[in-house]
Amino acid sequence: MLNQKKFIVSHAPFWHDGSTVTARSYNMIIAALPAVLFGFISYGMPAVGVVSLSVSSAIVWELLFNKISKRTISIGDGNAALIGILFGMLLPATSPWWLVITGTFVAVVIGKQIFGGIGGNPFNPVLIGLAILMVSWKDFFDFNEALVNYDLGFAMVYPLSALKHLGTSGIDAFNTADLLMGQQSGGIGATFGLGLIIGGIYLIIRGFIRWEISVSFLAGVVITALLFNLVNSAQWAGPVFHLLTGYTLIGAFFLATEDSSSPVNFIPMLIYGAGAGIMTVLIRNTGAHIDGVVFAILLMNLVNPLLDRIRPKALGKVV
Amino acid sequence: MTPKKELQFAYGLIIILFLVGVVSYAGFPAKTPDQPIRIMYKGVAGKVLFDHKTHASEAGYGLSCSDCHHHPEDEDSSLRACGDCHQAPAEGQEFPESCTECHEPDEIEDTEIIKNTDAFHSQCEECHQDSGAGPEENRCSWCHVL
Repeated sequence: MLNQKKFIVSHAPFWHDGSTVTARSYNMIIAALPAVLFGFISYGMPAVGVVSLSVSSAIVWELLFNKISKRTISIGDGNAALIGILFGMLLPATSPWWLVITGTFVAVVIGKQIFGGIGGNPFNPVLIGLAILMVSWKDFFDFNEALVNYDLGFAMVYPLSALKHLGTSGIDAFNTADLLMGQQSGGIGATFGLGLIIGGIYLIIRGFIRWEISVSFLAGVVITALLFNLVNSAQWAGPVFHLLTGYTLIGAFFLATEDSSSPVNFIPMLIYGAGAGIMTVLIRNTGAHIDGVVFAILLMNLVNPLLDRIRPKALGKVV
Repeated sequence: MTPKKELQFAYGLIIILFLVGVVSYAGFPAKTPDQPIRIMYKGVAGKVLFDHKTHASEAGYGLSCSDCHHHPEDEDSSLRACGDCHQAPAEGQEFPESCTECHEPDEIEDTEIIKNTDAFHSQCEECHQDSGAGPEENRCSWCHVL
């Protein structure tokens, strides 16, 4: 039994295709930049401060934990920087410095490092950080309250909270083109729909994220929102509104696709993505929270190990 | 990039972005405009977002300041936040500090100042009903967010 041959590998030399984790991380950061820069232009220096502090503190937390746990310094792979920038993108521009630093600590150390670092985390670290902060200090994540001193020339009420409290009569002020072009309040890097879509398509074409997850996530959102809308169009918004508001697009392209917390096979990826999309709209329409993306993806992260059991049968005799 | 260069790049990111972050936070704190744009009122009945700019600007509802800021009556320059007067007096005091800035205690001893939330509630409701903008009955959530 001990000599059973499991793999047959040909002789060296091998050829590495040149792809690295580092390249992947920094490409994802580049893909996120259009949306981030749009946030900087909209919200000015406070937004620059939040994102800069978020990236640098995320790398510092990883460096410190590497030192404390006496492991190889892993900050070179850019994953901590990626966590930092995604976390900063979800925050309102007025977040205080301590909130940013606490959030990146939770994301990097509790969300990733204590599970053994990159690849070992069962949940998306960014969402772990954000969820814990949202539950702990929910007033800072009330975009209506956080952005009370901003007047950017469009309806500044947070679209999803207008929908939640007023029904579709509350969202007449928003039209699709404006929402796509970022004419809405929200997280620093989460409002510019077009930028997020361009970034997402770039990542899909380069193969850094799986299209199956993004597309099924968006399909889940569209179908569920459409069903609700058909039942009662006065209370529940249509699918396009749900696609372009809140964290939907950043969730579909940058958060749900996090590799260690999402499935690897085709069917599981579709179930995972669609499940997160469906849960997003269910939480928005019938749940207590205003936006459902964070908890929907975390919930599907939880289901991920089960989904991974749906896999192709091994060829030949299985012992 | 070699692993060494990757590490150097990460250290560079830490230093540069930390400095940018500190400078942004210290040098460009979030501005509070002289005249509020929107105000989030908080009370036991949840939060109420009030769009001050839309109510006050000509392009909006064009209300005059004194429609709401009713005291003192004459001077525009002494417009002050509603909560300055509509508040519970500090411990050991009979009136809020802002009252005794101008008035002697015996001058206003019979004056009743209603609570901040009650003042807003009656003020908002009255004006909304007059202009037909009201919330319908039992639709508290049009204004109140719990």
